Amino acid sequence: MKLAWPSFRAQPAFWLALGWLLLLATVALVAPWLPLPYPAATPDLLHVSEPPGWRTASPAHYLGTDPLGRDVLAGLVAGARRLLLLSLPAVLLATGAGALAGAAAGYWGNQHLRLPVAAATGALGIAWWALALPGEPMPSILLSITLVLAFLARWPQPAAWLQQHSLAFPLDALVLGLATLLGAVPRLVLLVALATGPALTHLQLLTLLALLAWPGTARLVRGQMLQVRVQPFIAAAQASGLPPARVWWRHALPHASRPLLAYAPLSLAGLIALESALAFIGIGQGPDVVSWGSLLATVRQDPAAWWVAVGPGLALLCTLLALQKIAKTTEKSR
Amino acid sequence: MRYFWLGGLLVLLASACSTTPVPQAFAPVRLRWARDPETLDPLALPNPSAVDANNLLHLSLLQIDYQRTTYAPALAQALPRAHWLGDSLALLDYELREAAAWDSGQPVLATDVDFTLKLMQCPGLPNENSRAQFGFIREVRIDPANPRRFSLLCRSQGQEILTTSGDFSVLPEASLDPERTLRSFSLAALQDWPAARPPAPAVAALVQRYQQANAARHPNNIPGCGAYCLDDWETNRQLRFRRKKDWWGDKIQPTPFVLQARPRELVYAILPDDAAAALALRRHELDVYPQVPARIFQQLQASPAARQDFVFYTTPSYDVLTVGFNTQRPTLRDKRTRQAISYLLDPAGLMTATQLGQGRRTVGLLRPDNPFYNDSLPLPIYAPARTTALLRQAGWQRGADGQWRQPGGAPLALTMRYRAAETNFATVALQLRAAAAQLGIAITLLPSENSVVTTSLETGDFDLYVRLVKGNPFGVNFMPILHTDAIGTGNLPRFGNADSDRLLAAISTEGNLARKRQLLRRFQVLMREEMPLLPLFFMPYRLAASRRLQHIVAAGIKPGYAAMALSWPASPAPAGQP
Amino acid sequence: MVRWLLARLGRAAVAAWLIASLVFIGSRLVGGGPEQLALGDAADLSSPTGGALTLARQQAAQQAVRHRLGLDLPLFYFSRMAHPPVQWQWHGPANQYHRWAVGLLHGNLGYSYRDGQPVSTLLGRAVAYSLPLTGSAAVLAVGLALGLGLYLAPGPGGLRRLLLGLLAAWQVTPLFLLALGLLLLFANPDFLNVLPGSGQAPEEASSFELASYWLARSALPLLSLVLAVLPELTLPLVALLRHELSAGYATTARAKGLTAAQVLRRHALPNALLPLVTTLTDLLPSLVAGTVVVEVLFGLPGSGRLLAEAAAAHDYPVVVAAVLLSAAARLLGLVLADVLYFLADPRLRPPA
Repeated sequence: MKLAWPSFRAQPAFWLALGWLLLLATVALVAPWLPLPYPAATPDLLHVSEPPGWRTASPAHYLGTDPLGRDVLAGLVAGARRLLLLSLPAVLLATGAGALAGAAAGYWGNQHLRLPVAAATGALGIAWWALALPGEPMPSILLSITLVLAFLARWPQPAAWLQQHSLAFPLDALVLGLATLLGAVPRLVLLVALATGPALTHLQLLTLLALLAWPGTARLVRGQMLQVRVQPFIAAAQASGLPPARVWWRHALPHASRPLLAYAPLSLAGLIALESALAFIGIGQGPDVVSWGSLLATVRQDPAAWWVAVGPGLALLCTLLALQKIAKTTEKSR
Repeated sequence: MRYFWLGGLLVLLASACSTTPVPQAFAPVRLRWARDPETLDPLALPNPSAVDANNLLHLSLLQIDYQRTTYAPALAQALPRAHWLGDSLALLDYELREAAAWDSGQPVLATDVDFTLKLMQCPGLPNENSRAQFGFIREVRIDPANPRRFSLLCRSQGQEILTTSGDFSVLPEASLDPERTLRSFSLAALQDWPAARPPAPAVAALVQRYQQANAARHPNNIPGCGAYCLDDWETNRQLRFRRKKDWWGDKIQPTPFVLQARPRELVYAILPDDAAAALALRRHELDVYPQVPARIFQQLQASPAARQDFVFYTTPSYDVLTVGFNTQRPTLRDKRTRQAISYLLDPAGLMTATQLGQGRRTVGLLRPDNPFYNDSLPLPIYAPARTTALLRQAGWQRGADGQWRQPGGAPLALTMRYRAAETNFATVALQLRAAAAQLGIAITLLPSENSVVTTSLETGDFDLYVRLVKGNPFGVNFMPILHTDAIGTGNLPRFGNADSDRLLAAISTEGNLARKRQLLRRFQVLMREEMPLLPLFFMPYRLAASRRLQHIVAAGIKPGYAAMALSWPASPAPAGQP
Repeated sequence: MVRWLLARLGRAAVAAWLIASLVFIGSRLVGGGPEQLALGDAADLSSPTGGALTLARQQAAQQAVRHRLGLDLPLFYFSRMAHPPVQWQWHGPANQYHRWAVGLLHGNLGYSYRDGQPVSTLLGRAVAYSLPLTGSAAVLAVGLALGLGLYLAPGPGGLRRLLLGLLAAWQVTPLFLLALGLLLLFANPDFLNVLPGSGQAPEEASSFELASYWLARSALPLLSLVLAVLPELTLPLVALLRHELSAGYATTARAKGLTAAQVLRRHALPNALLPLVTTLTDLLPSLVAGTVVVEVLFGLPGSGRLLAEAAAAHDYPVVVAAVLLSAAARLLGLVLADVLYFLADPRLRPPA
């Protein structure tokens, strides 16, 4: 689809938003090579919780220091990098996975997705082996292989029987169940449980954040899909002979994902709020990993340190507004 | 019309908030607790709030005198007389006060002390902590001629048992065991009862009665001989204690400090957030705010209005911020490596950064004003040049990539564990990491949840740690943290050999001051040489209290103040109190 | 319809049970436990032990604690040996899970590890404290969201842009910063000292004074909760309303002669309500679980704080009971959302 973006004079806000996001991305990418006076996670013991200024220290802390002694400017840069490398991919992953899962659950429900019997027996065998239950998993694996071969060889009797007796895969119940499971356990308990485990690598943290955020998008898209599914144009597409997967992907999914454009920036803000909530409770990444959320969390130790709240807060606000502006303008110009 | 209604509501709200009550003579003294005591069971005291509450409701034989920083006799008449038997036993003679009595009027006798110690051994009660603490008392020998005189046979000869043997709350036998069924068992028999064997029927019946009394929630069911009783308890919000009208302690003239109980009513407000508690103090909803964090203390003192209404105290405490090494790890086995890392820490800078310069730097685990402090040792400083020299001495070589390696070994990379919620620990960890990074030593920070930290430290799954070692002014027994027997429990650096064990045992049992000084000097030199842990500095306790309060005693021992000595001016003291 | 509803409710109950069971089993598999906290710090020089505590004695004491709390029984009906040869062992009904499940069927939620009190009393007291607060915050937030949505939808304007910016600002501010900011602003003798942030009820007060005291005392927590939740409800609503206003039927309605406000209220709003319903039902578990941040800052003994402290102290019965309650609330919310979807849009049928 072609996008007709407005010119600068028509909508300066759009281009400002784009400019801010590009600045953020650039700063985040070149962060390891930026000539900052202080590295991000180094405490300046003589200037802890200092207001912004250029007379007290040399080199100066232009945006002040937080209650742990870390330079706020360096923290902003490090936080931008973390945003680009962790929070943004997590949100994209969560939104994508959630949209796909929710749309599939809403479209096919519990009855319309049919799987062949071979798949069920194969899954049973694999589960048997994985759980190391007593007895042999081989019989069910062999049975499933036989069924697949029979289907491929097109033996008349088994093929017809197999086609009639396919199992209805309860997709809606599964997706809803998973989403509910992840959503019904209070986030606090989940986080405390995580805190007692080993420290997480970058990729593990990314997956974890995506896991926490996908139920929201899934439910939203599922709800929208329930409305879109009964529209006349979907029935027309199905009647015209298109395979169900194509109807779902090309026609139903784009309409069901409509609320996502407004929701995604909020999801990003939510993830960053999660980080600062983690720091509030006292679990999460160590102080050597600086992010906007953890900077905001240090305000609790020194409530008079307004500069620690203003810096990351303004950065977050601008990012959120920019994302919302881009989303709105993109939607309007479709 | 809408705005009129809204404005009226706002006026109503504003008028309902009266925030400055004038303290009258009988007004309650309001103090702040950071957490709920959770249980007021005198056998299970899981957190400092519960200990504070227990000191109000019950009395022990000896109690801490905050004015003179010693143990003073409370239920006992005097400090115990010690007889050292053989080379491992001690007999401590106590005599209870004549006037000591329960609320019912019955006197407090040695049988109550015996009963309390036996209660600590009954299975099924939440007394495991007390059992571990007072397991060294083996027998209570009551004088047949005088029911108030008794002797405790102790299994240890450490000097500290002169005070720790009297540090448990005495509970009434009459209210829990009126049939005196427990008297048929000896304390030693109960201590040696195998865990697999089911308890005797009398013991089981007693445990049942205790559980029914539900002292955890209703401590008044087991009435203590303390000066206060619990009036009201709103979980996680506040507790109210009321002074008993006729308390036996009023009869003792002149009233010793440990038996003073001036406030008529004590209200403890549970405010978990420090900033919110500071605001409550400013709004006169609190009268005493103990253990104020450094920055909030600074902000309070900076405000002229606050300086007018409140007094501020800073007292050095006995808690020392310590960095420890796992001496059993191959990278840290050589003491020169440990000394090298210790020169990367900056105690002076850290004290400035976290405590605003307050606190006391030290060369070892003893406070500088301790008479046994070894002042000939130099204070630890930040000297990265010495780090490189010591690492080279220990055989480490710096490679082309900047990392240090033993010949044919892995690069020097360490992990550091500490509790995640503490900012002081985070600052220390960050400073060490930054200083080490400049030399090419990679230190990974692993702040974790409390139980994870404890488990990892006890099993030895760490290289470095940051902890607050809580000490006390009453004795110098370092066996719980440095003896080889304690590896896996209190000896976190996993340090020790036969010589150090002998030295520690000698220190704890030595009574002669001159010999003790020699031993302790040797000990401090040994600590400095071997460096299993590096004490950075002693933390200060800060107290902010209302200026109108009288008899404020700020001490360096937990909780940092003496609640029972406080009073408002012009309040008539309870009968008998000065 | 009724049969579908009953089926959904039944499934929700089973799901809540399943979630609570998972948390039950997971909490006991996690290392460290209440026995560590019951015993105190072995490396603490200020508590007397009369010598060094050996590993054997500490383990015996920990075993005694575990026995007292019932943690030395096997966890589940069967367990699997981890080391080869991999085997499964059957334990029968003498296991922790069975005891808990049987107790739950009789309505007994267990006893807290910290003070031995019944969990139902603890939880009931905490929920009774936080439910009015969070409930009124939710109602207020929904009302404000609807009002603000209707006001902001029509189009750009000076005040509208400012409000949208403010809402976005509140969106990014973490809850504790909001609450702390409000506390420092309104309960600070240095600024405006109009509302109490904490404090105790005046004794011997008339019911009117007591009511106004409670109102004043809950104003700040209420305000912070409303401000935290408002952007989440309002901003998507505004976006959806604007989308609806650009649809064909809206133009027809205007052409018919309806005013812009009438078009908004009567035609656009019902169509845009459904995603709002989803977000609303997401709020339901937090009504029950409370908000830890607000309760800690303002010193309120609510259920969020209870859950947080129980989780930190490894007080498993309280944690499992709170999770059960919160999971039940969340699942009820989902069923409610589906019912509302069906009621609001007659084209929808309940998913089979």
